[in-house]
This record gives sequence, structure tokens and C-alpha cells, in this order.
Amino acid sequence: MKKFTFTLLLAVIGCSGFSQIEELTPEEKFYRDSITHLNESNAAIEASQLAYNEGVELFKQNNFKAAVGKFTSSISNDPKFTPAYYNKAVAQNSMEDYKGAIKTLDELLTIKANYAKAFFQRARAYQGIGDYLNAETDYEKVIELKPKYDKAYYNYGTLKFMQKDYFAAVTQFSKVIMLKPDDAYAYNDRGSCYRMLEKYGEAVKDYEEAARKNPNLAFVLNNIGTTKTKLKMYVEALAAFNRALSVDTEFFLAYNNRGVTHMRMERIDDAVNDFTKALEINPSYAPAYSNRSGAYFKKGDYEKAKQDADKALQLNPELADAYVNRGNAKEMLRDLDGACEDWSKARQLGSELAKQYHSGNCSN
Amino acid sequence: MKNYLIVLFLSFSVFSFGQDVEFKAANFKDDKEGFKKAKEQMELGTEQWHLGNAEVFVVKSPELFYMKALEHFEKAYAFNPNSAELNFKIGVCHIHSTHKVKALPYFKEAYKRNALVDPFINYYMGLVHQLEGDFNKALTFYTTFETEYRKADDFGKFVKQRKSECKSGLKLVGTPIRAWVDHVPELSSEFDDYAPSVSMDGEEIILTSNRPNGHTPNEVGVYDDDIYSASLIDGVWQKPAKLKGKINTEGNDVSNNLSYNGTKMLMSKENAQGNSDIYESELRGDTWSDPISFSRDINFKSNERFASYNFNDRAIYFAKDKPGGKNGYDIMVSGVKVKRDRSYGLPTQILDVSSQFNDGPIYMHPNGKIMYFASEGFNSMGGYDIFYAKKIKGGGWTKPVNMGAPINTPYDDYFFAATANGKFAYIASNRAGGKGGFDIYKATFWGDEKSPSFATEDYLLASVAKPIQDPELVGEVKVTSMAELTVFKGKTLDAITKKAVKAIIEITDNNKGEIVESFTTNSATGKFLISLKSGGNYGIAVKADGYLFHSENFDIPQGSAYNLVNKKIELKNIKIGSKIALRNVFFDTGKSNIRSESNTELDRLVQLLKDVPSLKIELSGHTDNTGSAQNNIKLSQDRAAAAVAYLKSKGIAANRLTAKGHGSDKPIDTNATASGRQNNRRTEFEITGN
Repeated sequence: MKKFTFTLLLAVIGCSGFSQIEELTPEEKFYRDSITHLNESNAAIEASQLAYNEGVELFKQNNFKAAVGKFTSSISNDPKFTPAYYNKAVAQNSMEDYKGAIKTLDELLTIKANYAKAFFQRARAYQGIGDYLNAETDYEKVIELKPKYDKAYYNYGTLKFMQKDYFAAVTQFSKVIMLKPDDAYAYNDRGSCYRMLEKYGEAVKDYEEAARKNPNLAFVLNNIGTTKTKLKMYVEALAAFNRALSVDTEFFLAYNNRGVTHMRMERIDDAVNDFTKALEINPSYAPAYSNRSGAYFKKGDYEKAKQDADKALQLNPELADAYVNRGNAKEMLRDLDGACEDWSKARQLGSELAKQYHSGNCSN
Repeated sequence: MKNYLIVLFLSFSVFSFGQDVEFKAANFKDDKEGFKKAKEQMELGTEQWHLGNAEVFVVKSPELFYMKALEHFEKAYAFNPNSAELNFKIGVCHIHSTHKVKALPYFKEAYKRNALVDPFINYYMGLVHQLEGDFNKALTFYTTFETEYRKADDFGKFVKQRKSECKSGLKLVGTPIRAWVDHVPELSSEFDDYAPSVSMDGEEIILTSNRPNGHTPNEVGVYDDDIYSASLIDGVWQKPAKLKGKINTEGNDVSNNLSYNGTKMLMSKENAQGNSDIYESELRGDTWSDPISFSRDINFKSNERFASYNFNDRAIYFAKDKPGGKNGYDIMVSGVKVKRDRSYGLPTQILDVSSQFNDGPIYMHPNGKIMYFASEGFNSMGGYDIFYAKKIKGGGWTKPVNMGAPINTPYDDYFFAATANGKFAYIASNRAGGKGGFDIYKATFWGDEKSPSFATEDYLLASVAKPIQDPELVGEVKVTSMAELTVFKGKTLDAITKKAVKAIIEITDNNKGEIVESFTTNSATGKFLISLKSGGNYGIAVKADGYLFHSENFDIPQGSAYNLVNKKIELKNIKIGSKIALRNVFFDTGKSNIRSESNTELDRLVQLLKDVPSLKIELSGHTDNTGSAQNNIKLSQDRAAAAVAYLKSKGIAANRLTAKGHGSDKPIDTNATASGRQNNRRTEFEITGN
């Protein structure tokens, strides 16, 4: 109230030279109102832009949540400011708020219907919530609007891969390779498609091409190792794992996988060492415990086999392999009921081996 | 003392070094009566013992004779346990009983006391080592026996078989099968417990036992066999109970096999002639019916026992002891003729699974393709072993396969009753470690070696199964700081008549020195309406034909309260004597040099003088009353002269211009206030000629 009185007084003083007392005509009033509106509108745009820029800065600091807040503020100040929608959606995707991103992008695409990158982001978001059908539709739209957008083909390929449509995935990754011939990732992923199609020769060829494009990708070398293990080319597989580990000495997956190759070669002690090394690097890596359990089982050390499977299951209670291995160990420790329980659980989790063991040992 | 020492020495020799103390009177001078009785028992026992031996030769059951012999021998043994001969004979009695393990210490004692006690001692010492699993040592004894035994009888086949067993034992024990065999104490007793037959679900078991049953034991104190059943509850077998009904009699009633659905049972029992025959009983409610014998085609004059149903109920398999035969029981099959009459065709011996020794019991797998049977022959590692043979398409059976250790031992292992999944089986065995005689054992098969489940993990997708991100944001924008506008309205009027005057207005943004608006007011109303950025300082210059040029300086404050500024501009006719203040002419404080932002205003005056060439003016400088009057006069004079100089520089003739400094002599407002003093500080011109 005090402030208002002061303001009013200023107005009166201010108007002593420039009188404001005279009544305005309707046209003048309209003009004044339009100017007032213009002033408000300009202030809002400025506030929107300021919030937007702050959001961009926060995003760069990976503070996605705060960035989303700023972009939201920007949008509320200027609902037509499309970059704020886009950036908000990107931030939401980055923080895996896929539903939020979809909502934001729906609004954006209402304002800017053919915004290819918005479709791309929405496809990502749909992919994030497992709505592959809508994700596909959006990726197709991106490709239609922006036919040379390699990332769209790449993600579309990924989507197809995840739906186990490996032939379609090969097509998409091939397009990425056509657009970006040096894309090691695309070669790797196409190799993985071939691998899933059990075309191991072609898979290795693509993986090796990926490794040529970028020799420092440990995971590509690891993929070569596991694929060659499937081809029973154990010596070459070991060489690939060794290369992977020379690139990344902390790559625990490569230790784990090399351990499995050692098992195939019946080098049980070497396998145990590799599984142990994987666990030294990542003590929470349940599969290495499960695998070491299997190795101990093969050595006839059933107590240790059980202990390792127990640890694996503490870390991941849904790890079917660990149930199989613990079941095997329990059987040899004369706990057939316990073994049957474990095989049953592994069977529920989809293990074919457990199905075989359970039906062969646990029914009457 | 000396004599005492000699006696002591002798005693030490006899008992410490295991000398043979034969049943000779000379050895028992101090107890002639005792010796006489013991000797008599020795002889009575030996009589039965020989009868038993005769049975062994023809692969018959010598057990009863040996049991009788044992009764006498034990009395003799109580008198003299140090006779190698007696120890040997007791060993023989036990080794041919169901309690074989009892024989071992007697044979060892006999051999220790006299390694030449009997021509068969090496044979039985071979058996001792065979039972103990020391097959190599056993072979040495058998070979020695073989070398020394010169009798042209059939016993050679036993030695040959024993040696074969040892060789089998070396192989079989060296490569045990993947199974555990556990004693089942709940189903076993210190008596003979055998002939297990288990329901398909593994939760009911039938077995035979000669445990005390309330009947009258035979002449050697052994009770007759009865059939019992037990249930598995929470993984534990309950105490076996006699089957309900009249199935159990005072004679030996021996379970053979349950039918696959558990409603019928084949059993064997002695007929009136003392031969073992096969019978069948049915389960009615919880009671077993009176056993009914099979037709003469099966139950002939010989002994038949250990029968098994076939999977399709179209035949029975059983063991038959052919009269006059020397190969013990053989395995037979007989096809059904009229089922309801239990009428079966003449049995046929299955040669593929019949050996020179006792064969059977038999268990037919429910799939009809595998026969499990026990045999003392083939590659048994000793006593009965359990074998299997597979049915050959087109007829016959494969060569029997020993089920191996630990299912089989050098002792008697027989009967085989499996659960439906084949994971478990129950057998009977008199191996060491049981309660006594035959006991029930449970075999748990591991099945094929289990493979551990190994998992590899890859980043199959470079993006680790997540879509790649395109986190490129739209970049920062330049903030368009749109200044606020203020509505500026006004009117141009004749200062004297107050009538609207059409005037040309120029508005200058003094901060930038730019003309921001230029317009003409309405001729009828003199009104104008524009918007100006708030927060600026503006100059307004108004020209109208016949009127003195009008100039003002004003601020448009920041803030929405000032969104409308109203201005009334009164214009003066150009008349001699009119005085006009140039409000937008600026000087540095205390100096007379004109600041550049004054040019617009002065240029208007230039323009007015050019527009009205007859116009003569006096430019006068005015100060407020602060400072000395002399200084004020000088400063105002200098400033007026500076303005004249500017006008001259723009081409205005000097004769039209005069400069006059008035100091503070001609105030137009009060000097008592700041705003009044500001008004008084001015540059003014007066029209002096026109």
C-alpha cells in the first residue's frame, strides 16, 4: 500500500509538466492498451530468452533437471519459442524422463510440424519406454524429412536389433555405413546383427572392419573374441581378448569372456584367474561370480562353486546361469531338493539347461 | 620260578604269535570233559558243513546246512577260538550266508594261525580280499589256489569266476558310475531286508524281511520272510509294516515286483512240495488279496522266483531253477495265453541274460526296452551284481552291462526298483557298513555330467543397446532486451488563442543524438499520439508556420506507471520582443564550449533564421544566482557569444546576431529551488527585428 501511494505521487508530480489528466478517447485508450500489451509481451520474451540461456548453461553442466526447469520457464514466458521445447525434450531424454520428453515434443510438433530433429528426439523417447511401434514411425518420419540424417538410421537399426529383426537392422546399419563409411560403431553393430543371425563369418568380418576403423574400441575386440569362441577358434579368440585388454586394462567383460574361452579349452585354472580378475575390477559383476562357480564345479570344488553362485545371486537374484550352477553344486553336495529349487527358478528365468536338469532329476 | 617263566613264555607264544591250537586231546589235558564236548560239536558241525559244501558245488543254496553247522561250531569256538580249522569252517559258513562280512575275521584268523589249514584256504583268502576290494591281492590267492588245487571237479569254474570278478572289479571300481548309494536305515534291520519294489512316484515301497515277525523261527532261529510296506513322508521312510491281508504266512513270502500302477504284486513262496512258486496278489483297498499261483506252465516242479511284469502286461519274466541243472537260476519269459486264468505259455530261457551262475531277480523298465537283473555271473565283481540289457529290435537282448560301482560291490547286490524318472532306485545289498545281512540301499543317479552355465557378455551394440543421443541443443540466443514504450500524446495550440495549430514535430533521443520521430500534428485538433522508449531523455522541436520555433527537453521515466505522457505545446507567433529559451543547448559546467548534443537545437535556430531571413535576434545567456555576479556575467556572455559563433559558422550573417550575457539578472523563475535555478540557467534568444 505504501509503495502504491508513492508511485501515485510520482505520477502526479511527473505529470505536472506533462498533464495526464485529460480523458482519453477510445482510440487513444486502445492505442495505450496495445502499447501496454506490447511492453508486457516484450518483457516476457526477454524473460523467456534469459531462462532459455540459463537452461542451456545448466544442460552443459549435465544438470538436466534444473535445465528442464529453466526451459519450462522459458516456454511459459514465450509459448512460441520452439528452441525451448526442443531443448527441454533433449534434457528430459538425457535424464530418461521419456514420457515427459514425449509430451514436450508433442507440443513442439503441434507448433512446428515438420521439425525432423524433434521427431528424432521423440523416437528416442518412445524407444526409451519400449514403445517401439511409435519409435519406428518417428524414425521413418525423420528419414523422410531428413534423408541424410545418419543418426536416425543408426537408431532405427538399433531399434530393429532390439526387436530381433536383424535383417532390417542390417539394412539400417548399412545405410549408416553408406553415409558415414568410417563409422566403426555401425560396422560393429552390423556385425552383431550377423552374429545374432549366426552368420559368424560375416560378423567377424564387420567387427574386424570396425577394429580397423578404430583400433581403440575394446568392446569391438571383445566382440571378435566372443564370436571366435563361438566358432571354436579359441586361440584367435584369446588373441582378440588380449588386444581388448591391452586397449582397456580395466575391461572386466573381456576378462570374464576370456575366462569362458579358457573353460571351453578346459583350462580351468586360467579361467578361474580371469573370472577373479574381472571381479577385482568390478566386485559387483554377478556373471563373473556365476562363471567362477561353474569353473569350481568343473574342478569338483562344490563348496566354492556354491559360495560363488550365492554371491552372484546376492548381486543379481534374476541371474539364471547362477541358479543353474548353484543347482549343480547343491546336487553334488547332496542337497537335491535345493538343487531342484534352483533349477526350477532358472527354468522360470528361461534357462534351457535348467529345464533339462530339472525335468531329468526332479520329477518323480 | 624257572618253570613259571617257561609257562609264561609258552602262553605268550600261543596267544601272541597266533599258533594253531588244534582240537587234540593233548592240547586240552586240563579240561578233558570240555574238550570232549567241544570236539563233538566240532564233528557235528563239520557234518553239516560238508553238506553245505556239496550244495555250493551245484550252485544251490547251502545256507541252511551252514547255519546248522555254525550252531555247533560256535559252541566249539567258545571252548577253543584258536583253532585254525574251526576259524576256517566258521568263515566258510558265514561267507555263504547273507552276512558275508562276518566271515572275514575268521578267515584271517585261520590263515594267520595256519596258512595250510585247508586246501581251500587260499580260495577263501582270495574271497576275503576280493570283498575288501583288494582285487590284486585276491588274484594272487586265487592263482595260488588254482596252482595247488588238483581235484578234477567243477570247482575250477568258481575260481575262474572269482578271478574274472576281480578283473572286473579292478575295472569297475576304477571307473565308478555317476551315482551315490546310501544305506536306508529306516527300511533296514540286523536281519535280511531285501526285494524292494517301489511305486512309480517313489513314495511307497514293498520289501521283504526275515526280521522277527511273531511266527515260530526255524531250527536255526531264523524267522520266515514276510512282506512289508512303508511310506515316504517328508523325505523319510516310515517304519515298515506287514502288508494287510493274508498275504503273509508262516512260510517264506517274498515280494518280487509291484505292477507299474501299484495294484498288483508278483511274489514267490513255497508250495506244498517245498518248491518256490510264483504267485500274484491284488491290492483291494488297503488289503492284499490271498496270493494265487500261476499255471503249471510257469510253476512246474522246479523253483521259480523273482518275477517281474512286462510293461504291457503280456508276459512275465522270472528266474527258474531247472531240475538237475548246474547253473543255478536262469531268466525265463512266459507269454500270456488267457490272462484272467493266469494262463501263460511255456517259459523260454533268455539265453542272452542267463549265466552259469544264479541269475535274477529281474526288473523290467516300464518302457519295456530295458531289463535290469542281478546275476552272479557275467562280469560281476563278486556275488550278485546288478546288470542291465537292452532289448534288440527284432529279438534278443544286448550283452548284459554291469551297472558298476558304487551300485555293485564284491558282496551281493541285487534287486533293482527304480522310480519313474530313473533318478532313484532301491537295491538290496549285504555289503559292509549295513545293519546286518541284506539291507535296503538307495541309489541316486547323477545322470550325464552336468555342464555349468557360462555367460559371456558383450557390447553387441556400440550404443550398449540404447539409442545414441543427439544432445546438441539449439544454442543460446541473444536476448532481445526490448525497451518499454511509453505512450506520448499531445496537442499543438496557439499560445494566445488556444486554437489547434498544425505543427511539425521532431523528437530527438538525446542519448543517441538521433531523431527518433518526425510527424505533423492533426490540423484540426493539433493532436498527436506516439510511443517512445521509456527511460530516455528527449528533445522535442515544434515548428509551425508563423509561429516561433518551440523546443523542449523532457524525460520519459522507466516503469509502467508512466505508460502515458500527455503534452500540451503552446506555440508563439514570431513577434519582435518574443523571447524563447533554448532548452536543448548544453555547455560543460562552468565552461562556454557548446556540447555536441546541442547542435540539433541550434541547427533548428539556424533553420529558423534561414527560413525567416528578416529575423534578427539577440542571443542571451542566463545563469542562476549562485557564484559571483561578475563570473556569472562573464560566463553567460561567453556562452551567448559561443552560440552566436555557432550560428555564424552555419552561414548566418553577423549583423543579424547579437550576443548578450545577463548573468543572473533576468531570472524567469525563483532561485530558491533547484528546479527554479535550472529554469533560470538558459540560453535564450529574443527577436529583435523582423
